[in-house]
Amino acid sequence: MNNAEARFLLHACRPGGQDLADPALAPALEQMRRDPDLARWFERDQSFNAAVAQKLAALPPPPGLRDAILAGTRVSLTPSRGASRRSRPLWLASAAALLVLSAIAAWWSFAPIRGHTLDEFALNFVEHRFFLQKRTADVDELRHWLAARGGPLPRQLPPAFADLRALGCRTLDFKGHDVSLLCFERDGREFHIFVARREDLAPSTLRALAPTDRHGHTVAAWSDEQNHYVLVSDAPSETVQQLL
Amino acid sequence: MPDPAFTQLVDSHYAALYRFALSLARNTADASDLVQQTFFIWSHKGGMLRDTSKARTWLFTTLYREFLRLRRHDARATSLEDLPADQDEIASEDIDRVRRLDASQVITALQSVPDTYRAPLTLFYLESLSYQEIAHTLDIPIGTVMSRLSRGKAQLRRLLAEPSTSADAKVVPFEPSSRTKSS
Repeated sequence: MNNAEARFLLHACRPGGQDLADPALAPALEQMRRDPDLARWFERDQSFNAAVAQKLAALPPPPGLRDAILAGTRVSLTPSRGASRRSRPLWLASAAALLVLSAIAAWWSFAPIRGHTLDEFALNFVEHRFFLQKRTADVDELRHWLAARGGPLPRQLPPAFADLRALGCRTLDFKGHDVSLLCFERDGREFHIFVARREDLAPSTLRALAPTDRHGHTVAAWSDEQNHYVLVSDAPSETVQQLL
Repeated sequence: MPDPAFTQLVDSHYAALYRFALSLARNTADASDLVQQTFFIWSHKGGMLRDTSKARTWLFTTLYREFLRLRRHDARATSLEDLPADQDEIASEDIDRVRRLDASQVITALQSVPDTYRAPLTLFYLESLSYQEIAHTLDIPIGTVMSRLSRGKAQLRRLLAEPSTSADAKVVPFEPSSRTKSS
């Protein structure tokens, strides 16, 4: 083994010394002990590595990331309404699990999101960075995805929604109850519809709203017999009004 | 509430995973998302891992695969042929320079290393994984890991020596996220 070959192997030695007993590196380490030039090179390489590793270890994760991981997982593991998971057919559970695993585009930045009413919560949610768990333009696929998770399903949406392109959907938690979120797009504007079951939530949290400008977004809310809906969009209120 | 074992798993690995993600994604928001997604996948799939001692490798592997899946192909991917010949000599100034720099300046330089080398190099400097585990995590041969470490270190030394990474440059040029809210 010449010095070039030895260097090639010694590059893999972590500065903490964890690899010094690795048999695959032993010939290179032995070569280093015999050759002072190689030993000096290895010492400098290890010093450089240790300095970089120390700087990297000093980099703190963002405040709240740990809590966001734990909170996000807690929400994701919240049992769905209705039948218990154990009573579902195995194939359905497997299919749902596969869907979750294959369809998640990303998990969301889950900072605390507040709001006494669903519209307040919805606006705060949109203003936070969030991710869709299911991404497809196929509305039927979104419907099935939400149904498989026990998420509230809209009975019907205003007819003009047929002109929008679906982006995807996700489920989330508001005051301990499932809420579905469906996202649409048209001409570069996003339309986010939150759907909650009326029976789940106190009437004081569900209020009707004509399209209203709030913090650069337009918010509207309405109910049907079964659900309460909140629309949050970056489109102007006139556009939202026409849509509804 | 998450079970204590899961909380312990998060506490043991989330910081190192974040640092790895930050070197890959080059911005804080996307790095945080990658880490959260990794643990989310664990919460659904990790229980299938029979040997829990492999959890660390599993988490790094999953995060890297998610990064590859989500990233858009761009011109920053650099092939081996694009790179200059390896420069293996290490000057004392290289070491002193790193010691003088802030952690943020070092991560910025690391983020500028071409993709091919950045992932193995960051895993190496995190010191959590051996070169064999890095090879497994990135699904590349062990010899390739060693080659990329060698060339990656040379790249990093060169980048750290550039004026923009000098001790006077205190601004950290993290790129803003290119994703939309609903991406």
